[in-house]
Amino acid sequence: MASGLVFMTGPLCFMAQAQDYVDVEAERAGRTSSSAPATATPGAVADPYGVRPAQSYPATSYGVNSAPAAPATTTRPAASPSGNQSMGTLYIQLQQLQQEVMRLNGMVEEQANELRKLKAQSLERYVDLDKRLSAVGTSAAAPAVSAGGNNRPSAAVATPALPLTTGQGAALPGESEAYRSAYSLVRGQQFDEAVAAFREFLDSYPDGKFAPNAHYWLGELYLVVDPQDLESSRQSFSLLLSQYPDNAKAPDAMYKLGKVQYLKGNREKSRQYLERVVREYGDTNSAAVKLSRDFLAENF
Amino acid sequence: MKRLMLALAPLLFALAALDVHAQLTIEITQGRDNPTAIAVVPFAWQGQGTAPEDVAQVVDADLARSGQFAPVDRADMLGRPSTQKDIFYRDWRAIQSEYLLIGRVLPQGEQMRVEYELYDVTRQQQVHSGAESGPANEARMLGHRVADAVYEKLTGIPGAFATRLLYVSATRVPGGKDYFRLTLADSDGARPIVLLESREPVLAPGWSPDGKQVSYVSFETGRPAIYIQNLATGAREQITNFKGLNGAPAWSPDGNTMAMVLSKDGSPDIYLMNMTTRKLTRVTRHYAIDTEPTWMPDGRSLLFTSDRGGRPQIYRYDLRTGTTERVTFEGGYNARARVAQDGRNVVMVHQKDGRFHIAILDLVTSRLQVLTSTELDESPSIAPNGSMVLYATKHADRGILAAVSVDGGVKFRLPSREGDVREPAWSPYMGR
Repeated sequence: MASGLVFMTGPLCFMAQAQDYVDVEAERAGRTSSSAPATATPGAVADPYGVRPAQSYPATSYGVNSAPAAPATTTRPAASPSGNQSMGTLYIQLQQLQQEVMRLNGMVEEQANELRKLKAQSLERYVDLDKRLSAVGTSAAAPAVSAGGNNRPSAAVATPALPLTTGQGAALPGESEAYRSAYSLVRGQQFDEAVAAFREFLDSYPDGKFAPNAHYWLGELYLVVDPQDLESSRQSFSLLLSQYPDNAKAPDAMYKLGKVQYLKGNREKSRQYLERVVREYGDTNSAAVKLSRDFLAENF
Repeated sequence: MKRLMLALAPLLFALAALDVHAQLTIEITQGRDNPTAIAVVPFAWQGQGTAPEDVAQVVDADLARSGQFAPVDRADMLGRPSTQKDIFYRDWRAIQSEYLLIGRVLPQGEQMRVEYELYDVTRQQQVHSGAESGPANEARMLGHRVADAVYEKLTGIPGAFATRLLYVSATRVPGGKDYFRLTLADSDGARPIVLLESREPVLAPGWSPDGKQVSYVSFETGRPAIYIQNLATGAREQITNFKGLNGAPAWSPDGNTMAMVLSKDGSPDIYLMNMTTRKLTRVTRHYAIDTEPTWMPDGRSLLFTSDRGGRPQIYRYDLRTGTTERVTFEGGYNARARVAQDGRNVVMVHQKDGRFHIAILDLVTSRLQVLTSTELDESPSIAPNGSMVLYATKHADRGILAAVSVDGGVKFRLPSREGDVREPAWSPYMGR
């Protein structure tokens, strides 16, 4: 921080030109005091030449504090000569206003984005509901829809997850609760915890009513946990497909297998799965068919 | 005068590998689960004496580094065919090699020619054949071009091995002043050539779209200024000398314009410089810091970092409509974007749980994926084929370069034996 302050003590520090340097140095100081990516090994501060290369230049990399003007603002009044007191006060107020506007600007941007997402989700939900309602008339089980191209299990995908049945009858005692609590972790975006919960669920209810759903979610979750686990994901989807070939999620699992194989670099296997989805479920209204077609068109 | 310029480097073409210690080496840290087995048989040398360069070894190492191939160990090869008639497929089936690459190297005066054929061992047929020619002293580049062709044939994606890297290294001099080097190297870190050595910081290296010129910021005059340098002639030119910041130069895809950050009119803003007339146009006008411009491949819009929303985030400026929209929303810190040639994937520095990682954002689905598990990651640069991301990170308290595939599946490091290495810039395709 000290190196940044040196530049702020000049009498002209409140003038616009000096401001550039003040900001820059404050930014640098901010970087040095926190562990921004470009920051050098601690202890190098004593050597002025040791610090310099390690400091990143704001034009190429950002300071971690991300509010570069903030330290400048707080230190400036002390540096202002008394004759310019009112100018200095005005300047500080201006700075504070700028900070405030920036913060509000950020909030507006984020809320506008949230609104956009919510609109898209509610449309998705409506389409999904509509699809399932119309499916009730034609077939017993409605296909579970996974959000278009989006691997992250979202609330939009969530709706069809619970009511899905495998035709194996009623849930075992406690099963619904266990599934529900594992599933709530997905909704809460606690993916690592969700993986553990679904695995535990499958240990307790390997043949339960929700077992196929659990396999499906595990497949999805292994794709979003960090680090991604493509092989486990593949196994989960494969298991679902081999043990519950008639499950409503079978086309989705097949589509996902295609994607997983693609991610693993197996283009040929990927294409086989995707083409199989189109071939075997082409006449159903499963969303997996369209997703597979799109994926094929886009990547092959 | 505290500053001292050590060397300009106009003699590029005459320089071979300068400093063995400065060379980057490669350590693969994570590969794919099921890489394709391929046998790269040492190419037959058809000249006098021994071959000046083991071209097949270059191909072998390139394919291995991609993580998508597992080259067969030479010691396991039961034969060393160099023509089709010498191939016994059972030898290669026995060691479970799915593909076989053979070739011949022919000296032609100052030139060299590499002929090669790729075979599918299971189907027992040739899948590809080709030849590459070039200066004999650039034999490694021929190997990289063969690797590019093989990679494209087997994965469907053009290879990016015959490309080059720029990076900045800082060497600490105990008790003295550090020095900075701007280095040009092959994509595997081999054949490093120092373009600029200075006692003052060198930053933000970048490429012209034809790969013939580089741009960078140097403090050699005591203040930041943007320079461009021709790689073939070594000719070098200072193109800015404004008050305040002169930084983050980024050539437009057509090469006619350069985006840059200047603070001559107040806070740092993005400007465009016409490279013919050197006329400046101001792009952003905001009291927040706008920096790190980068071009979308169509040249119609720019991505840049700004803290106009209170925290650094990526924004897109549309050059035709003059509108700015925010691009990143996930996380409180997203900066230094670079766009893949597909115009869809954007890599950036992303803060998660207080750590700085490299993340990739799909502009179509808005899905953001964190690619790296290291921390303090910075300066991502994406390969021209969009397959790998090179970035700077810290390992064992040293600044090193590391690479990760865009799906996060393959990782390797390129440690340097000396100094801190930073700010990699992957070249575009060269001479295609």
